[in-house]
Amino acid sequence: MKRRSFLKALLAFLGATSVASFVYPLSRYYLAPPTSTENSRTLIIAKRDIPLGDAREIVFNGVPAVIMNRPGKGLIALSRVCTHLGCLVQYDKENKRLLCPCHAGVYDLEGNIVSGPPPKPLPKLPLRVEGETIVIG
Amino acid sequence: MWERVKNWVETRIGLDDLVRSQVTEYRVPKNINIFYTLGFVAAAGYLIQVLSGIMLLIYYVPHPDHAFKSVQLIMHKVPFGWLFRQMHVVGSNLMIAAIGLHMLTVFAMGNYKRPRELTWIGGALLLLVTIAFGFSGYLLPWTQLSYWATTVVTSIPTAVPVVGDFVAGILRGGDQVTGATLSRFFAFHVSILPPLFMILVGIHIFLIKRIGISATPFGLQAEEKRPWTEYHKKSHADGYPYYPRFFQMDMLMVMVYLAVMFALITFTPNLFFPEEATIPANAFKTPVNVRPEWYLLAPYQMLKIIPNKFLGIIIQLALFLVFLLWPFFDTEKEKNIMKRPLLRGLFLFSFILWLILMFWGRS
Repeated sequence: MKRRSFLKALLAFLGATSVASFVYPLSRYYLAPPTSTENSRTLIIAKRDIPLGDAREIVFNGVPAVIMNRPGKGLIALSRVCTHLGCLVQYDKENKRLLCPCHAGVYDLEGNIVSGPPPKPLPKLPLRVEGETIVIG
Repeated sequence: MWERVKNWVETRIGLDDLVRSQVTEYRVPKNINIFYTLGFVAAAGYLIQVLSGIMLLIYYVPHPDHAFKSVQLIMHKVPFGWLFRQMHVVGSNLMIAAIGLHMLTVFAMGNYKRPRELTWIGGALLLLVTIAFGFSGYLLPWTQLSYWATTVVTSIPTAVPVVGDFVAGILRGGDQVTGATLSRFFAFHVSILPPLFMILVGIHIFLIKRIGISATPFGLQAEEKRPWTEYHKKSHADGYPYYPRFFQMDMLMVMVYLAVMFALITFTPNLFFPEEATIPANAFKTPVNVRPEWYLLAPYQMLKIIPNKFLGIIIQLALFLVFLLWPFFDTEKEKNIMKRPLLRGLFLFSFILWLILMFWGRS
């Protein structure tokens, strides 16, 4: 290798290393530090607070969610965060649907997509009934 | 005294020569029309944004607990605070309209063609930066509308596999829109975008000066029609001087811009403030009527009607790239759109489609 080529390659290597050494901390800086959330706690709600056919909005581990008492199908807890672009779905008691007000995504009460642009069903939250209480988590 | 100051400056920087070469003896094409003033109008619009933005900075507090209250303070308590905020909000919309109209007329006159491809790309990037200004400023009042519009737009990158969540995380500073998002949008709005905008304006003006103003394609000289294979500057030696003739046209259009701005502020003060823009942000309730500003209604409606998240976003990205790189797609030498029925049809079709999507998105 000629001296000129070697020096060019060396300069390119040193330049790339210098740039990379700034890009890495810069990209890490832009990612905000992780916020500490308690992901293990449970949420307890009285069963009588959600009459048959009604729903109650809750926040579980920082995620907005909804618990619905479906006639003939029992209780279910779903995330309210639309899988399309993150708006919060709303419970439509009359039509037994969950509607996203932003881009008209429609889900059934199981969280499955009925229509609109959402790519995935709504995530289910773990729910169990212990006597007269509902336990989420 | 004034003469002595003038002479002192003249001796040092040769101001007379600068004014002569850049203003009074700077020639513009004879067949120039009123649409050529839109770039100047957009620059004047930017100046208004900077000045009104600085006024707002005096009272605005970029914190989730105070942002909404500080904006309410500006609107209702600070003397003439409402005026500067209205000028800033209405001005942001008008500036986008001015740049959009500028690009539309440049397109219709074929002035993006060789050798002005880079000028077109610079203009398209300026439009993008102006929209980024509008979008980043939208969150700052921390209202229901701004919060949920930001949630939607910062979720768009999540459609891209592998890196989407990472990019959304960088935009928001976390998984959701929070105070961290407000801080970085504020920094973006007041300290990152302004220098970026000025750099692009500098490049844009440099290219216009270096290449020369393009003549309209209507009544074009044969010399203009020849293909450009090497650099040469279009100087319009037989044209009109920029000052006073074209400068008067520029100033007239700036007055029209200001007249429209103050007419909107006076007669439709709530035009850009729907009900959701007067309610503080609530992370647990998406309002029913959340809609973006008029210039994003068409992409918003497209996202709604395309039943696939990835496809909806990729189509929009592809359309923007076609718009940005249009001079490389259209390689026909003919500049006059009236002599190109196919291009004219495409132009009208795209424009009408955009209008339909916009009004559909609003309904």
